[in-house]
Order: sequence, then structure tokens, then C-alpha cells
Amino acid sequence: MTVTPKPTGGVGMNPVANALSIVLLIAIIGAAWILFGGYTLVFKALIAVILGGALVGFGVHFVPVGGAPAAMGQSPGIATGVAMLAAGAGLAGLFGGAFAAHAKLGLVTSVVAGGIGGALMMAITCLFVTLIYTYGMGIPSASGKVKVDPITGDTQAEYKSQGTEGHGLPFSSFAGGVIGGFLGGLGGTLIYYALLKVYEAKLPALLSASASAVVPVAVSLAGIFAIGMFLVNAVLAAYNITGTTEGFHDPKFARFPRAIIATLAASAVCGIVAILVAAL
Amino acid sequence: MVENIVIGIGITAFAGALASVAGAAEDVESDIGSQGDPNSQVQLAPQMGYVHRIFNKAISGEPPAWGLWVALGAGLAAAFLQVNVNPILALALGCVIATLVQGVYATTAYLGRMASLAKFGQPVYIDILKSMTTVTMAHAFIAIFTSVTMCYLMNAALGHPFPLALLGLIWGIALGAAGSATGNPIYGKERQYQSQKFGAGVPVAASGTIVRYAEAGERNSLDNGWFAAKLGGPWSGICFGLIVFLELWRTVLFEPFWAGWGAIFVGLILILIFTFIDRYAEVWARETFGPYAKPEGAAK
Repeated sequence: MTVTPKPTGGVGMNPVANALSIVLLIAIIGAAWILFGGYTLVFKALIAVILGGALVGFGVHFVPVGGAPAAMGQSPGIATGVAMLAAGAGLAGLFGGAFAAHAKLGLVTSVVAGGIGGALMMAITCLFVTLIYTYGMGIPSASGKVKVDPITGDTQAEYKSQGTEGHGLPFSSFAGGVIGGFLGGLGGTLIYYALLKVYEAKLPALLSASASAVVPVAVSLAGIFAIGMFLVNAVLAAYNITGTTEGFHDPKFARFPRAIIATLAASAVCGIVAILVAAL
Repeated sequence: MVENIVIGIGITAFAGALASVAGAAEDVESDIGSQGDPNSQVQLAPQMGYVHRIFNKAISGEPPAWGLWVALGAGLAAAFLQVNVNPILALALGCVIATLVQGVYATTAYLGRMASLAKFGQPVYIDILKSMTTVTMAHAFIAIFTSVTMCYLMNAALGHPFPLALLGLIWGIALGAAGSATGNPIYGKERQYQSQKFGAGVPVAASGTIVRYAEAGERNSLDNGWFAAKLGGPWSGICFGLIVFLELWRTVLFEPFWAGWGAIFVGLILILIFTFIDRYAEVWARETFGPYAKPEGAAK
């Protein structure tokens, strides 16, 4: 008895679906322009949320995920799910970004702090994957998708054990994981920061409370929506990847444009809902 | 100022230690319950004619499961704190209730998964259910309690703006991600496929042929917990402990420098150090274990 193979999906773009997504995106941005009175704080926040979502979706494509086969040394990558690993890294980044935002360090510093937090989490996790394969299991890293590692130039095929698609984390996959964590943390924190500014500006009037009194509510709401939107975009990207990927050198990486269009539309829908909670 | 920094470093170290215990307990819990990716083989084995006594409570991947349990423990602890329960008691009570929920999930998941394999002749072992569920619950309590305590320290002592339940969700997901990334290969390859050659991946053709016999009698998941506690668990603990400790350490100590860019710069240095260690280990493995075959295009 064999396991049913997962659908692989193509690289091609579906013109109708893409056109619909772009129309939806433009419609939401247009509606926001009219509703919020042009280029205001709320409108800028929506654009930041959409950009943050696209960054998350793009970043997930870099993360090397081997899923169940990686747990048996049957395929390269980290032995867990795409969306969940990216979420682990991105949310660790969001933790750092929220710390920086709380210390009033400004947009750029907070967002970069979030990105570095995600990258650090992925660097440690990827390092431990290499260490456990090397010193725990005696297995060298080997890619199943490329003959030569694009960064180090190491040949791969002769290190692949018989009957497997490769194993461990070749250096390019490690680098991809760190880049993916960085983009995830960057996007997640950007969403959080944008929503926080909207809630801090709008909630005092809505709740008839002082600016300082609404801070805990604003932080909690922005945090919950940022995590939710992070998961929406990570799962969308994971569906695009279908199963396992080795990172940016994997042929599946070429599918990222359609994920970006999908995440732009999904972030616009989620973003407008998150903003309307306080801005109307 | 100096006193604040010293207290901050102390709390950072304590949070890192708690995270290390959480990571180790998480991996052992997940390996006893086959929660992570290796559950695919435990599920597949009876379909290949390999009926077994391994516990399988997977209901989702480790990261969302731990996100739920830690967030639940943290949320309940926050509720108890709101009604002025002593913090230590509030944390313990919240985590006990979250552990009970984990126990319910483990029970229904095992019964559901094993019952679905009835047509392949796989029995539902009631003795396995009774003895394994409580052991996973004990490990889950350790991991949930240490994680929630760590989140409480971040919130109450270090002043992180997120409420306790949100911190629980974030670090629960990160705990599951770190634990599954580090611990799964050891359980999946070295334990379930102990009969396969050391130093090589499991051939795809061997999928489902898991080892079912222990030193004495049939293997059950307590044997797997014993095995996981030797290497996979401690390494998962160090992995998660380092993530939490370094994330807090660089923020607490270096954020005051260069308007926040100090922490970013230190983070970058740490990433470069880990990248260097990773590359060293990769090259060491290639040179020590050698190629399995001649390079393509080499003279025969």
C-alpha cells in the first residue's frame, strides 16, 4: 500500500484568479481612500498592513521545511510544517518588535528589531537541526533539488544516502531560513505597528477614555490581529508551496509571485476589517 | 539604573532556564505521544501490516497544539490573577486546567486514530491509553508551567506590553516549532527506524516498517520517552532556551544603546556566529562521514 502523493501544483499563474485578486485589492484600497478621507493615518496603516502581509507571504517561501519525511532523514529541511515554523519565527520576531515599539523607538527601529528577532530564532533552530543531524545521527547535509549548493558551491548528490531525496540542511537552506525569519518578523511587526497607531489614535474617542487608558486594549487588539494576519498569510504561502521546500534554491520558489498577489488581497480584506473595528 | 539592568539580566537568565526545561519536557511529551511528524509512520505502520503498541495522540502539529495549551494556561492564570489569587497559585492552577485539556485531547486523539486503523487489524489498547496519557500529561504540565511562568516574567518583570495569553500563544507556537525541528529527527529516524543503518536517511521504500520490539517484550511509548530524554529532549531544551535567553538578553542589555540599534546590531552578530558554527558543522560532517558515492563526472 502506498501513501497518496500530495498535489504538486504548477508554477503558472491563473489569470482569472489573479485578475480577481487585483480587482479586490484595488477596490478595498479605493474604498479606504474614500472612507478615511484620502492619505490619512488610517489609509497609510492599511497600506502598511498589506505590505506587511506580502512580506510574510514572500518570507515563508525561503523557509526550508521538510515536513514528515525530514523526520526520517528522507528529505532535506526542518521536520515540521511550513506555516507553523514560519509562524514560530515570525511571532518571535513580533515579540521583539512589540518590545521596541513599546519603548517608543520609532517605526524603522521597531520593524527591523522584529526582523532580527525572527532571523535569530531561525538561525538557532536551523543550527540545531544541523547539529542533531551531524552529531546525533551521523548524517551529512545533502540537497535533493540542486547538484551544487548555490552559495558554497559544495556538490550534493554524492552525500545523499540511498533511497532518499537528501537530508539535513545544506548551507543555502540555512541562509534561506534566516532570510525567511527576517522577512516574517519584519512583516509581522509592520502589521502590528500600523494597527497599534490606528488603535491608539481612534480608541480614546470610541471608548470615551484617555489616551493612556486605551493603551493595553490597543496593544492587545493590534497583537491579536497581527498574529491572525500572520497566520492567514503563512498558511496561504504554505498552500502555494504544497508540502516541502528547500528554500530559495528549490524550484518551488518560482511560485512566489502568485502567493504575493494572494497575500496582498487577503491582507487587504483582513486589514480593512481590523481597521474598521476602531476607525469608523 | 545599574540595579535595573542587573535585575533584568537575572530575570532573563531565569526565563532562559525555564525555557530550557520547557523545551526538554515538550520534546519528551511529544515523542511519547508521537505528536510531531513521526506520527505519520506510527499511523502508516498498521497499514503495512505492522501492528504496534505505540501511543499516537497527534491531533495537529506540535506548534499549534502547544500554542493552544500554553495560551490556555496563560489565559487562565491571567483570569485567576484578575481575581487577586496569589501569582504562584494562579500560574499553577491555570496550568493544571490546561493540562487536563491536553489529557482530553490525548485521549480522544488516541482513540480516534487507533479506531480508524481497525480495518488493518490494529487494536485499541486500553492499558496503553491508561499508562501513556498520564505520562504525557505529566510532561505537558512541566512544559506548560515553565512556559507560562516565563511569559509571566516577561510581562510582569520585564514589562513586555503583550497580555499574558498573547505571550502564551506566541511562545507556545515557538516552543512547538523549536521542539519539533530539533527533536523529531531523533525520534523519527533513530528510534522508530533503529533497525536501519546509522549515518543514513531512511529509504522511502522502508516507510512504515517501524521497530516494534524492545529489549524485553513489545515496545511502547514509555521506551520512546526514555530514549528521547537522552538526546532529543535536552537538545530541544537548549535550542528553545537559547532562543528565549538571547532574544531577551540582547533586548534588555543593548536596547538602550544607539536608540535601539544596539540590540539589532548584537542580534546580527549572534546570527553571524551561529551561521559560522552551522557551516563548520556542515563541513565537518562532509569530511568526516565522507561521500556515499563518487561525485558525478568523476573517473570510475
